[in-house]
Amino acid sequence: MITSILFLILAAAAIGCAIAMVAQRNPLYSAISLIGVFISLSCLYVLLAAPFIAAVQVIVYAGAIMVLVVFVIMLLNVEEEVRRPIRLHYLIPTAVALAAVLIAEVAFLIYSVETSPYVPLSPVGTTADSNVGLTASIGTGLFTKYLLPFEITSVLILMAIVGAITLARRIAVPPGAGVVPGSQVLPMERVDPRRKGDATEVEANTTGEAARIFDLNKPTPSRAGD
Amino acid sequence: MLNLDNPLVFAGIKFLGIFVAFNAVLMIVAYTVLAERRVLAFIQGRVGPNRVGYGGVLQPFADLLKFIFKEEIVPDKSTKFIYILAPIIAITSALMTIVVYPFGPRVVIPFTDISFEMVVTRFDVALLYVLAVTSVGVYGITLAGWSSNSKYSLMGGLRSAAQLISYELSLGLSLVGVILISGSLDLATIVEQQGNRWGFGDGLNIILQPLSWNIFLQPLGFLIYLISAIAETNRVPFDLPEAETELVAGFHTEYSALKFALFFMAEYVNMFTVSMLAATLFLGGWQGPGVAQLPILGVFWFLGKVIFFLFFYIWLRGTLPRFRFDQLMNFGWKFLLPVAILNIILTATLAFFGVFQF
Repeated sequence: MITSILFLILAAAAIGCAIAMVAQRNPLYSAISLIGVFISLSCLYVLLAAPFIAAVQVIVYAGAIMVLVVFVIMLLNVEEEVRRPIRLHYLIPTAVALAAVLIAEVAFLIYSVETSPYVPLSPVGTTADSNVGLTASIGTGLFTKYLLPFEITSVLILMAIVGAITLARRIAVPPGAGVVPGSQVLPMERVDPRRKGDATEVEANTTGEAARIFDLNKPTPSRAGD
Repeated sequence: MLNLDNPLVFAGIKFLGIFVAFNAVLMIVAYTVLAERRVLAFIQGRVGPNRVGYGGVLQPFADLLKFIFKEEIVPDKSTKFIYILAPIIAITSALMTIVVYPFGPRVVIPFTDISFEMVVTRFDVALLYVLAVTSVGVYGITLAGWSSNSKYSLMGGLRSAAQLISYELSLGLSLVGVILISGSLDLATIVEQQGNRWGFGDGLNIILQPLSWNIFLQPLGFLIYLISAIAETNRVPFDLPEAETELVAGFHTEYSALKFALFFMAEYVNMFTVSMLAATLFLGGWQGPGVAQLPILGVFWFLGKVIFFLFFYIWLRGTLPRFRFDQLMNFGWKFLLPVAILNIILTATLAFFGVFQF
């Protein structure tokens, strides 16, 4: 009884946060709603007798991945969405039709599960021998039966780390290059053999003052190849 | 007498336990603030606040009244919902961790036969739960820094959040050594296993009982944990994000009155939490000489150890200068994290060769 009530509350919280995430204009509110979804899912995992997955869900998803997303939103200062007039009017009936198809599928699934002659075992957690969700059994399975996926996942994560470090690497600027302060020297400029090495070739987001100082407003630059 | 199978009775007892623990933590935190001001004053050669009450013991209540009656300011261009949500996240995640710490062994109330364990709740993944809730606490600081719409707050908040997520890694990894020794993630089990290893604590060896604590099996892990914990709670020498001379007041610059009080309390509750975790995992929790004979003594041993760690924090604050931010990040990623991994490898190797069989 209590588990049913808790399930309803947590499911409502998860769905509410998910709808809020999609419907919000402010991107930071969307990120916070997504954190709410993850925490509700973590509580649902606890109801399903998987405490390890619940804790790891919070640590990895809500505690690491969403922190990264929140950092990006803050540092890039993503703007609020502006209400635009609807251009593609045919999308609304299509969306309604597809949603109806999805609901029909889910209803069919629930109906066939409820009316099937299969009797499930007693719920997980009430039998004394069931320890599927505990840490020891997950560890045992991970290092014996599922060892190959585990190692491949490690290599995948390593690839992601190496890729991130490579993309964010800063190239050392040689002395004498006219780089506008505040611009970012992209790697493409370093590998282009036709590069002449003066300030005008660098793609930069300059402030007005820096542009004036380095005479970037003229169509033909006056500092070419001195 | 108390039918624990009835879910309502069970819930009622747990709520009572949570209520008692919550009040105890808040009182201890309030007096930690006072203790910090007094001890810091003595280190610096002056006397702290000693006017309110005898020796200043009513000072926390005076501070509370001041915080309640101050004017609530909300900056004009800030995002109001997140501005109010941030201290709530900070204090909630700070207080949620206290339910898993064992304060004492199983005690029996005299003249009845009710016995209960002095821990609010006991479940299998308690240590992971503590790490998970600490991870969520980062949002309080990040959102506070951003929603105040002020450059000091934003820089302080982002720096503080970057520091927190960097030192969370070595914090978690330093605890893996203890988990390898104990074979369990449950804090109460880890404390029970530090009872009498190798016979320390029995009979004439009762005074040598501290030698069976985990700190003697994991000295490197303890040092890594201590440094990471000090960085996690934004204390000196890692407190650049909130140092007064650097960034005004960091992420809580624009907060006033009760919301600032919540952040302030959240920092001290975090300090209390990591002290409790250090006492539980490395110093034997409620174990100590004489606990096997008189169980209620365990509560005093636990409180003594936690108070020692709090004093150690205050001592560091009065003694050490602070790290520069890039020195801090270098130290966390390039030194502390490899040393924590080295500790895991060493402990795992020793555990494989059966050194930790008791």
